Amino acid sequence: MYQSVFTNRREFIKKMAVLSAMTAAAGMFPGIIFAEEQEKGIPDGANLDWKKAPCRFCGVGCGVLIGTENGKAIAVKGDPKSPVNKGLCCVKGYHSIMAMYGKDRLKKPLVKKNGRYVETSMKEALDLVASKMQETIKEHGKDAVSIYGSGQWTIPDGYVASKLFKGCIGTNNVEANARLCMATAVTGFLSSFGLDEPMGCYEDIDYADTFVLWGNNMAEMHPVLFSRLLDQRLKRGVKIIDFATRTTRTSMAADKTIIFNPQTDLAVANAICYEIINNGWMNTAFVEEHCNFSKGLTNMGYGLEDHYKFTDRPEAISFEEYKAFLEDYTPEKVSGLSGVSVKDIKYLAAHFGDPNKKVMSLWCMGMNQHSRGTWINNLVYNIHLLTGKISSPGNSPFSLTGQPSACGTVREVGTLTHKLPHGVVANKEHREFAAKIWDVPVENIDPKPTYHTVEMFRALDRGDIRFMWIQVTNPMVTMPKLKRYRDGAKKEGRFIVVSDVYPTPTTDIADVILPSAMWVEREGLYGNSERRTQYFEQMLEPPGEALSDTVQLIEVAKRMGFEKQFYYKDETHIEEIYSEYRRHHEGKKHNMAPLEVLKNQPGAMWPYVDGKETKWRFNAKYDPACTNGKDFHFYGKKDGRAVIWQRPYEPAAEEPDADYPFWLGTGRVVEHWHTGSMTRRIPVLHQAMPHAYVELHPEDAERMQIRTGDMVKLTTRRGEISLPASVNQRGVPAPRQVFVPFFDEQMLINDITLDSFCPISKEPDYKKCAVKVEKA
Amino acid sequence: MKKRLGILLVFGILFVGFSANWTYSYYQGLEEAYIPIMETKAPPVIPSEKKVFERSEYALDYLNMPQDENHQRTLESYYDNRAYPGAPPSIPHPVKEKLGMGGNICLQCHQNGGFVQKFNAYAPVTPHPEMINCKQCHVEQQTKNYFAATDFYKKPGPAVGVNSALPGSPPTIPHQLQMRENCLSCHAGPAAVKELWVDHPERVNCRQCHVPQQQEVENVELFVRANTVDQ
Repeated sequence: MYQSVFTNRREFIKKMAVLSAMTAAAGMFPGIIFAEEQEKGIPDGANLDWKKAPCRFCGVGCGVLIGTENGKAIAVKGDPKSPVNKGLCCVKGYHSIMAMYGKDRLKKPLVKKNGRYVETSMKEALDLVASKMQETIKEHGKDAVSIYGSGQWTIPDGYVASKLFKGCIGTNNVEANARLCMATAVTGFLSSFGLDEPMGCYEDIDYADTFVLWGNNMAEMHPVLFSRLLDQRLKRGVKIIDFATRTTRTSMAADKTIIFNPQTDLAVANAICYEIINNGWMNTAFVEEHCNFSKGLTNMGYGLEDHYKFTDRPEAISFEEYKAFLEDYTPEKVSGLSGVSVKDIKYLAAHFGDPNKKVMSLWCMGMNQHSRGTWINNLVYNIHLLTGKISSPGNSPFSLTGQPSACGTVREVGTLTHKLPHGVVANKEHREFAAKIWDVPVENIDPKPTYHTVEMFRALDRGDIRFMWIQVTNPMVTMPKLKRYRDGAKKEGRFIVVSDVYPTPTTDIADVILPSAMWVEREGLYGNSERRTQYFEQMLEPPGEALSDTVQLIEVAKRMGFEKQFYYKDETHIEEIYSEYRRHHEGKKHNMAPLEVLKNQPGAMWPYVDGKETKWRFNAKYDPACTNGKDFHFYGKKDGRAVIWQRPYEPAAEEPDADYPFWLGTGRVVEHWHTGSMTRRIPVLHQAMPHAYVELHPEDAERMQIRTGDMVKLTTRRGEISLPASVNQRGVPAPRQVFVPFFDEQMLINDITLDSFCPISKEPDYKKCAVKVEKA
Repeated sequence: MKKRLGILLVFGILFVGFSANWTYSYYQGLEEAYIPIMETKAPPVIPSEKKVFERSEYALDYLNMPQDENHQRTLESYYDNRAYPGAPPSIPHPVKEKLGMGGNICLQCHQNGGFVQKFNAYAPVTPHPEMINCKQCHVEQQTKNYFAATDFYKKPGPAVGVNSALPGSPPTIPHQLQMRENCLSCHAGPAAVKELWVDHPERVNCRQCHVPQQQEVENVELFVRANTVDQ
């Protein structure tokens, strides 16, 4: 007779309960706990003091718990309470604390005297910075001094920088490396919706049926979010479509990979719109109620020359005109240009067009570092607007970010030349509003924006800028066409201050190097891609004389005579700065959560209204700022309507030709973050990825007799560089294309990249230039 | 007569004109509707990346499978069955079919695993089921004795629990990945070695946290920036 493994009914119910609890636990996405056997060799962590912080690295903004013992950070785990990562991290996050303990950590200020760096006291160094800045302003005017920060600035860092330079000194020479990374996302949002940052949030992943990744190697670059996609695929069978120029780890994980020729995403996106309209998949009610049609200028150029200027001139068009424009983008016409088959274009369109499917588009640098970046951002919004798949759970065009506070600091605080914490410098009311909170005369704030990042470094080269303070970033690795800007920075009569935690190629050009306190060695706040502001307390003592970037700026401001504006007390300065900053964003559209809330929970999404975060903006069901009485209200635009843009295909600034027959694209790898100044000092990560390489397509490699490890010489019109080849390894570029990661300061790929940029956002295109490839 | 000829001629001209016109427009029509068929190649497969995700469709099953501790392999027996760490394991059970290369016969048990009553054990899952000439590497042991004694040094296998850089941080991968790219086949399921069993198979993208320890950098000197030398 058949005998049940469960001896009686009671035991059966008990066992079922255990099993379902296990399933439920898996559903909750638990943190990782290693089995007993696997933890045998690990010291007991019972006495650890665990405190929460957002991760130091990318823009996903994972919540981590940091274990400290005897004043040292010794362990990291994912914060199970964080709705972002639910207990999971990536390899960088798990080893992030080791980035603080590199042996060559900068501990004392260094001042260059007769070509040698001499240690000084912090007081002396800050005195020198302040006096040099004053001297420069006196001799060359206020627009000869500048500050260049980054999306790794904490919110208080960026806020005091903006207040000092824009409010007190009165120059708009405030930029951040997010210009090289997120500026296009900003102009995309502003032109389509009038307000920056995604309408949806990460929770969209739990509802969407199809994920379209636009040139986004998410499995390596946003691995923790990608694991949420994989998790949904296991549970609900969602589809992941990888639309890319290069075959990557993401392609290997995706359900479908579609490869297109660089720059032709513009044409394919328009072809998708054509198909949507032509097949009757358009959500007519939504479009009539909530959208306008517009066109802008074309043939904008590429910003390759100094003093290049461009302002778009939007012009309203009718739906019929838009439809006529799309006639040039039938799948048949686009197919030849893009290398994407008609079938695949229709496949993509059908996923967007299916009214029963919720679609989430995800993208990052592929679309942002694009010589027509604002356009491609607009075009993806077009697709979502035409189908009405926007601002509701699971229907979400979602722009990912690369730095922990690109949104929180650069975009929200507004550390860009044209921006103020609330609004823009060109607007009188916005200037008056900022001046009141900053306690400065309104005339102090210059209504004219000055230089965007590329132009700022050109101005440094030309001598229009004489003094530059660089904080938390490494432009001497990341600037495109790097050689020009490095030579420019080294010229006589330039004074460069660099605040950083390790020596980098950027500290090489410094006259003063200030050691910074990093991450949890100080108190601060970051804002991630889903509008989530996260707080972290100081858990460790910074090494030597290192000071936080906030304190460095405050100290210099005080020395320059702005004690009144920089009244903050030592112990409470972060709280005071954040409270002051919140006043800029008061109101239902952008209210920030109070600090007490952020201290007690793993962050909160703005707009934070009446004790509640807003998950889906512009949707009346979720967003209290909607006032038009309809389902959706795009209140960023005066008439409450989002804009569908007519944006054509235009070629890239430099395309392969007979002399330089390959495309060159650059990017990242999972192990290293940005320029590797932190991650390369983490032994686990360095051992896994010790140096840069150039990826070739196997056919090209075979034709040129190149094998993995052979040296390959890359030559562009800017110069040449040799790197070891990588064939069939981490990624495979399309034929006649090569890919190089940019993290390696010993193999500076940016020496040969091109400084063309999107004329609207001024963000350089690191993904496209022409290159000659030879066996070295 | 002339009149009749004239009429015939008119019809003749009309017919020729018609057929010329028709043919022309027919080909024009073809021209317009013609879509050149493009050869789009399937994107290449990157073995080291692709195989990580293989078997991931069973990840939730792996998660919910209770561990059968009584029949689990141990790390010791795992290394015992290999000549050196990383060597192909020999076949520890008798093989009836002596002639063939293995293939489907081996894969019946070793593709997806499962409990085998006869051996009172779970069949280990192969990370490379596409290689079907199994016996080219995996051979049956007919004897435990040596022909002559050997001085070969069998390096101990990588230990468990010592590959993490920090307390609780994800262990790095201490073995080569070639032919062992598919993590789940060995680290999940009931046949997994007790010490190597992973409790979170549903994460799937294993190498987002677990990265290889690259041996080639062992002898690379420490990198020192020039401007720190003076300090």
